[in-house]
Amino acid sequence: MNKKTSIFGGVTIIALALMVLMPILLPSVTLATEILIFALAALACNLLLGYTGLLSFGQGIFFGGGAYSASLVMLHLNFGLISALITAILVGALLALIVGALAIRRTGIYFVMLTLSFSQMAYFLAYTFSDWTGGDNGLLDVPRPALTLFGMTISDLQSSEAFYIFVAAVFAIVFVFSRRVIHSPFGTTLVAIRENEGRSSAVGFSTNHFKLVAFVISGAITGLAGALYAMLLNFAPLSNVELLMSENILIMTIIGGTSSLIGSILGAGSIVLMGDLLSSIWPRWMMILGAVLIAVVLFLPGGLWGGILSLTSKFPWKKVKTNVTSEVTK
Amino acid sequence: MNLYLFQVVNGIGLGMIYFLISVGLSIIFGLLNFVNFAHGAFYLLGAYLSYTAVSITGNYWLALIIAPLCIAFFAWVCERTLIKRVYHLPHMYQILVTLGVALIIQELCISIWGPIGKSISPPDSLKGVIAIGEFYYPQYRLFVIAFAAVVALLVWYLLDKTKFGALVRAGSEDAETVSLLGTHTHRLFSITFALGVGLAGLAGVLAAPIKGIHPFVGPEVLGIAFVVVVIGGMGSFTGALVGGLLVGIVQSVMSTLWPQGASLMIYAAMALVILVRPYGLFGRA
Amino acid sequence: MIKKYLKNTALVFSIAAASCVVMAQEEAVTIYGVKSLSGSFASYGKYADMGSKLAVEQYGQVLGKTPSYMSIDTEGNAGKALRKVQEAINQNSAKFFNGGTLSSTSLAIGKEINKSGGVFITPAGADELTGVDCNTSTFRWSVPTYGAIRETVVPLLKEHPEKKRWYTITPQYVFGEALLSNAKAVFDELGIEHVGNSYHSLQEQEFSGYVTNAMAAKPDVLLLLNFGSQSSNALRQAINFGLKNQMTILVTWSSGLEQFQELGADITENVYFGAQYWHTVDTPLNNKLVKEVKDTYGITPNYPLAADYISTKLLLDAIVEAGTTTPSDVIKVLEGKSYEGPTGTEIVRAADHQVLKNYYLLKGKSPSEMKNADDFAEIVSYGKSFPDESSLECKGM
Repeated sequence: MNKKTSIFGGVTIIALALMVLMPILLPSVTLATEILIFALAALACNLLLGYTGLLSFGQGIFFGGGAYSASLVMLHLNFGLISALITAILVGALLALIVGALAIRRTGIYFVMLTLSFSQMAYFLAYTFSDWTGGDNGLLDVPRPALTLFGMTISDLQSSEAFYIFVAAVFAIVFVFSRRVIHSPFGTTLVAIRENEGRSSAVGFSTNHFKLVAFVISGAITGLAGALYAMLLNFAPLSNVELLMSENILIMTIIGGTSSLIGSILGAGSIVLMGDLLSSIWPRWMMILGAVLIAVVLFLPGGLWGGILSLTSKFPWKKVKTNVTSEVTK
Repeated sequence: MNLYLFQVVNGIGLGMIYFLISVGLSIIFGLLNFVNFAHGAFYLLGAYLSYTAVSITGNYWLALIIAPLCIAFFAWVCERTLIKRVYHLPHMYQILVTLGVALIIQELCISIWGPIGKSISPPDSLKGVIAIGEFYYPQYRLFVIAFAAVVALLVWYLLDKTKFGALVRAGSEDAETVSLLGTHTHRLFSITFALGVGLAGLAGVLAAPIKGIHPFVGPEVLGIAFVVVVIGGMGSFTGALVGGLLVGIVQSVMSTLWPQGASLMIYAAMALVILVRPYGLFGRA
Repeated sequence: MIKKYLKNTALVFSIAAASCVVMAQEEAVTIYGVKSLSGSFASYGKYADMGSKLAVEQYGQVLGKTPSYMSIDTEGNAGKALRKVQEAINQNSAKFFNGGTLSSTSLAIGKEINKSGGVFITPAGADELTGVDCNTSTFRWSVPTYGAIRETVVPLLKEHPEKKRWYTITPQYVFGEALLSNAKAVFDELGIEHVGNSYHSLQEQEFSGYVTNAMAAKPDVLLLLNFGSQSSNALRQAINFGLKNQMTILVTWSSGLEQFQELGADITENVYFGAQYWHTVDTPLNNKLVKEVKDTYGITPNYPLAADYISTKLLLDAIVEAGTTTPSDVIKVLEGKSYEGPTGTEIVRAADHQVLKNYYLLKGKSPSEMKNADDFAEIVSYGKSFPDESSLECKGM
C-alpha cells in the first residue's frame, strides 16, 4: 500500500484539516454542517462524473429520497439515528439502481436527458403523494435522534456543535471509503471506461455492470446526505427533489474539480458560502454565480482544485506536488 | 363541437409555439453538437425586449420584428466572444457555461424590468375571439398558428433549398468535410447559433401576449424545448415540428383527461422515447 | 453581513472582540426579516423587505434604544431559510422574526423559532400555521382560506343573485384544496350549483386547456383558486379566450396591487378579486402608511409591503408594551391584543394566534375610470369571517 491509497495519505489529510478548520473560520457551525452535507452529495456526484464520466441530473432524486425515507421511518416507526441513516442509504441505493439501470442504456446527451426526465417525474411523485411527503409544505417535525452505540447514549446531538462533529465523522468515513473505491481495481476500471468505453468493453469488462455499481454507490451516499440534511433542518422540503437541487449538486461538483474527491468539499464550500455571503449583500447575486460558472470553464477547467494544483506546482513544494498531481493523473 | 376535438385544436396552437421554441435548440445541437441550457433565457429576453419595444413605440408589429433581430444579434455577439470557446469541450462544460449565461440573463432581466411580471396585450386587430361551434378561440392564437407556420416554411426552405442549409446539413453530418470545402465554418457556426437563438427570441415575443412575461419562466421553457427536441429527434427540423405539435396536443387533451398528470406525461414520454427510440421519431442514428 | 465573517474570525483571536459581541447583543432589539430576496419569489421579498425596514426605521426608540433590522434571504428555498434562521438564533440569539411569505418556509421556521422560544409573525397563506401546526411562537396576519372564500363568494352572489352556476380551477396541493373545500361548503349553504372543477399541477403555466374545460361547462361564474403567477396566467388566458363576455370571473386569493400592475387594466377590468390589503382603504394607519411609503420609496404600498410593515410594527409595539425583550412576555401581550392596523382595528386571537382582520372584495376598474396609475380597483365589500373558536384545529398552544 503506497501513501496515496493509505487511509491518511494524500488528500485525506487536507480533507481532515478542512473539517477541523471550517467551524472555526466560518460564521456558524450550522453553515459548516450544511457545507459538509453538500460536500457529501457532491462527492457522490463526483464518483459518477469525475470517475465514470456520467453527467447525472438525477442526484436530487436520491437526495430527496434519502431525506424523505429517513424522516418517515423516524416519524412513523421510531427508528433511531443509525437505523434511519441506513434506511436512507438503502433507499438511495435502490432508487439509483432503478434510475441507473434505465439511464445507462444510453450515453452522452441522451443519458443526461433521461436523468433529467426522471428527476422531473420524481418531483411530480413527491408532491402528488403529499400524505407521505407533506407535498408543497414539506415534511415537518423531523426528529434528530440521539447517537447511541450498543445501548449507550454517546450524544443527544441536539447542539449544533455535536451534530457537526457527527456529520464530520460520517463524512470522514465516506471520504476514506470512496478513496478506497476509486483506488481499487474497480475504480481503475471505471476510469478506463470513462476514457474509452469501446476499448474497455472490448477488453472484456461489462461496462454497464460497472456503471450501474457506480450509480448505486453514488445513490447510497447521496441518500445519506439527504437524510443528514433532514436531520439538520428537522425538515424535509420539497425543494430537495427539485431539478434545481440536482443542478446545484452538479455545479458544486464541477466547480470544485472532478479530478479529485477533495474538489467536492471545495465546490460545495464555495457555492454554499457564495450564496450565504453574496445573498446578504445583493439580491441579484446569482448574476455573479453565473459569471463564476463561465469563468471556471474558461480559466480553471480543472475546477478549484485543479487551480490550486497548478498554483502549487509553481512553488518548490515538491512533496505536495508529486503527491497530489498523481491523484489527478490517476 | 366536441370538447376533446377542441382541445386538439388548442393543442395545435400550443404546439406551434413549442415548435418555435425548440427548432433553434435542435438546429444548434445538430450542427454544433452544442447543448444550450441558456435557450429558455433567450426566450425570456425576447419577451422582455418586445415589452419595451411595445411600450416605446406602441406598435406590436414593430416589436415582433425588432426584438428577435436584437436577440439574434446578441446571440451572435455571445457566440463570437464566449460560446465558440467551448464547442470543443465536453457537454458538461457547455452546460455549465450556458447555465451561467442563463443566470446572468435572468438576473439582468429582474434588475432592468423588476421582479414583478409584465403583460403586453395582443394588437387591437387581433383582440377578439372567433366562434368554433360552441367554443371560442382567440384570434391572436390563430394568428400565432399561421405566423409560426410561415416561419416553419421559411426555416424549412432555408435548411433544405439554400446553400446555407446544405452546409448546415453537411456540417451536422461531418464538420470537417465542410471546412475542407473551403467554407468558413466559424462563420457558419455563428450564423446558425444566431438563427437558432433568434427563433427562441421570436417565440418569446409571440408567446408574450398569451403567457405574460415572468422572470423565472426560463427553466420551464427550456424543459419543454428539451422534451420536444428529444421526442422529435435532435437536429431534425421535422422532428421539432412533429414533436412540438405532439407535446402541445397531449398537454391540451390531458388538461381535460387527467390534468394533474400533464407534466408527468410529457416527461414520461420523453424517457420512453429515449429508451425505445433513442434518436427520436425523426432523428438519424 | 461581511462583518459577520470578520467578526467570527476575530473571535478566534481576541477575547476582547468576543466580549464586544456579547455586549452588542444586549444593546437593542433586532427584528429579523425572513424574505425571499433572491430566487423565484423575488417579487414578494423585495417589497416585504421594504415594509419591515420602514417599520423599524421610523419607529423611534424601543426600550430606550434604537431598534435595528436584519434581513435573511431565503434564496427562494425553505431549507436555506431554515438553516439561516438557525444560525441567527445560535449566533446572535435572535428572538424576533417576521416574514416568510411562502407557506413551506413559514411552517418550518415557525417550528424552529418555537423551539428556541422566540416570536414570529408571518403573512403566509397556509392555514396550518394557525391550524394543525400552530404553536406558541407563531402568529399569522393574513386571513385564512375560510375567510377569503366567505368574504368574496358571499358578497359577489349578493351583487349578482342570478349567478348560480359556478366553475372552479384549483391547484392540486394543500392550499388549493383548502380553498376548494371552503368554497364547496359556501356553495352548499347558498344553493350555488358547482358545475365543475379543473385541478392543475403545481408547476402549470399553460391554462388554455382548463379555460376550455370551463367554457364547455357554461358557468355563470369562473372562480380561480390559484395564486401568484398561476392565477395571473389563468386569468390572462381566460380573458384571451373571451370568457369575460360570457361569465363573471373571481380571483379569490389575489396578491393585490402587484398583480394588477403585472396584468394591466385591460385584463383586470370588471374582474373581481379577493385581497388581504388594498391601498385605498380609509383607515388612519393606512393613510399614514400610504403617505410614508410614497415619501420614502416613491411607490404605492402593495400587499407584501403592508403585511410585513404591520407585522414588524406589531412586534415592536408588543415589545414596548411588555417592557422587556423576554419573548414569553411579548407573546402574552400579543395574545388578545387589539390595535389599529392598515385594515382598521385588528385583533390577535389568543386561541390560535390568528389576527382577525378584514378581507376585501375588489372589482377592476376600466382604464378610463382610473384616477391614477395605481387606481386599478374599487372596493366592493369587506368584512371579517373566521372559523368559530369552538371549531379550531389548533391544539398545540
